[in-house]
Amino acid sequence: MRNPSNPPAAGCQDDAIRVKDLTKKFGEFYAVHQINFAVKRSEILGFLGPNGAGKTTTIKMIMGLLRITAGEILVNGLSVKRDLKKIKTFTGYMSQKFSLYPLLTAWENIEFFGGISGLSPAKIKHAQQEMASKIPMEILKQKIMDIPPGIKQQVALFTCLMPDPEIIFLDEPTSGVDPENRRMFWMHIYELQKRGKTILVTTHNLDEAEYADRILILHNGRIIREGEPAALLAADHSDSLEELFKKAILSHEAN
Amino acid sequence: MKRIKAVIVKEFFHILRDPKSLVIVLILPILMIFIFGYALSFDQSRIITAVIDFSHSELSQNLIKTLSQNNHYQLKEIIPDERFPTPTAKAESLLKTGEIKQYLIIPSDFSQHMKKDTPAAVAVIIDGSDSNVANIIHQYNEMIFLQFQTEVRKLGPPFSIHTKMYFNPENKSAFYIVPGMVAVIMIMVSALLTSLSVSREKETGSIELLFISPLKSHEIIIGKTVPYILVALLEGTFIMLFAKFWFQIPIRGDLLILLAFGLIYIIAGLSLGIMISTVASSQKVAMIATLLITLLPSILLSGFIFPLDSLSPLLRAFSYAVPATYFLKIIRGVILKDALFQHFSLEGFILLGFSLILINMASLRFSRQRKAAR
Repeated sequence: MRNPSNPPAAGCQDDAIRVKDLTKKFGEFYAVHQINFAVKRSEILGFLGPNGAGKTTTIKMIMGLLRITAGEILVNGLSVKRDLKKIKTFTGYMSQKFSLYPLLTAWENIEFFGGISGLSPAKIKHAQQEMASKIPMEILKQKIMDIPPGIKQQVALFTCLMPDPEIIFLDEPTSGVDPENRRMFWMHIYELQKRGKTILVTTHNLDEAEYADRILILHNGRIIREGEPAALLAADHSDSLEELFKKAILSHEAN
Repeated sequence: MKRIKAVIVKEFFHILRDPKSLVIVLILPILMIFIFGYALSFDQSRIITAVIDFSHSELSQNLIKTLSQNNHYQLKEIIPDERFPTPTAKAESLLKTGEIKQYLIIPSDFSQHMKKDTPAAVAVIIDGSDSNVANIIHQYNEMIFLQFQTEVRKLGPPFSIHTKMYFNPENKSAFYIVPGMVAVIMIMVSALLTSLSVSREKETGSIELLFISPLKSHEIIIGKTVPYILVALLEGTFIMLFAKFWFQIPIRGDLLILLAFGLIYIIAGLSLGIMISTVASSQKVAMIATLLITLLPSILLSGFIFPLDSLSPLLRAFSYAVPATYFLKIIRGVILKDALFQHFSLEGFILLGFSLILINMASLRFSRQRKAAR
């Protein structure tokens, strides 16, 4: 549910995220080079690309974790450069590298993330009970470092959703997770979409890209394809996303 | 407040469950206090001394007896051999190998001079390779020669000297070293705890979760500092108990005074650790930097080993920028001399200044780093 104190700015009601000429330079290296895209409300946008394509860099700029070299990012019409504090109140982030404290139990992680999000003790307790209805208590009471990746990922997503964010950024959320848990994860993402959440998800697993409403393929910091998976396959005369991906990269490198 | 509490609770879990933190908190201080308490002793209880007596008189034998009866001296007989055929050559070789700390040469006319009350020259050759030890041996020699002269001549010295050593009557090094060690360990451990805590979050990437959370920079700093204040205070109490019961250091002053000053000192150390972590890229770098920044100046420039008066003007100026310089004075004063709060109001005020400056600098650097990320 959208935070009433942060209404979308006029003229961009349909866009949850709008990125204009976004550039990130590390020294002389362009990690992201003048990219433009938008994410509509309640849309699942898949960010595809090989390692080093600029996916995580883009998400980190949107989350305010990396300084923008040039360009602009609007989230719900608010500028990341100026209104980051407000943006934080309705966005959630699940990181590829780190989402939970490994020395804390799942139970304690829920308590911690609820606490730093400013949730009341009653809400945190309720969240813990909700998690306990899905995952056995003996697993929740184990340290994160000792529980299986699939459950770890469920807990990480749960903590990310605790403050009920309107826009969710998932950076390689399924890396290291088995196919069955990956499928269940995507079912959960669809449920979130039905509840009106906007989701930007990065992945380098091409088979996952089909779950997204739209995909962006990034290569060397530039967007080389953008559109609905089926439409892109048809336009490129490709039978699979893997083929499409290879063609796109080869064609971009040739140019 | 809810958010700060969440960070505090999380840090406590980390301290208890992270083996590295536990080593720093429990093992490192004990190891250091043992090493410094025992190894770094200025007491000389066994000065191995050789005497070459060319006089062979009753008086020279009396002098040798006086030396042998003193607890600080242990006499070693000189037996010349083929390689070192003379007693002097043999004594010199023993001095070189470190088997003796000094040797005395009593000349053949020693007895005549003593009887005529004319100056008698006894040559004393001391191993000066360790100047501290050499000075202590020199002082012991002077005392024992004065004692001998007084006994032989049956005269008292020009005036009677009754020396009373205040605060450390037995002149034990441990009385001086161990309280100083508490000051060194506390600044080192405090800074290590926070520098490792923050740099670990940087290394694992978890700092990003704190950065994107609604937590304000000062809330992160407070949340990360409060648990370690308690840990460092417990640590200080533990070391003090160890000092009292293991090293038999008398605690004469009011521990509440020490607690008040110690709290300010710990905050300075924790803030220093956070500042270091804002620069350090990894836990290893943070650990090396913290040890260099806290340990070296606290040991060398605070008056812990070398008196501040013996430092060059430049180093002495540096010593004023070392928090341990002030806390060392306070802890020695309170523990050994039963000093009161007012005796160290200036040092306390300076330490408070250090803490306020360091915590503000740490907070500023942390905020800047958070902003610099975007």
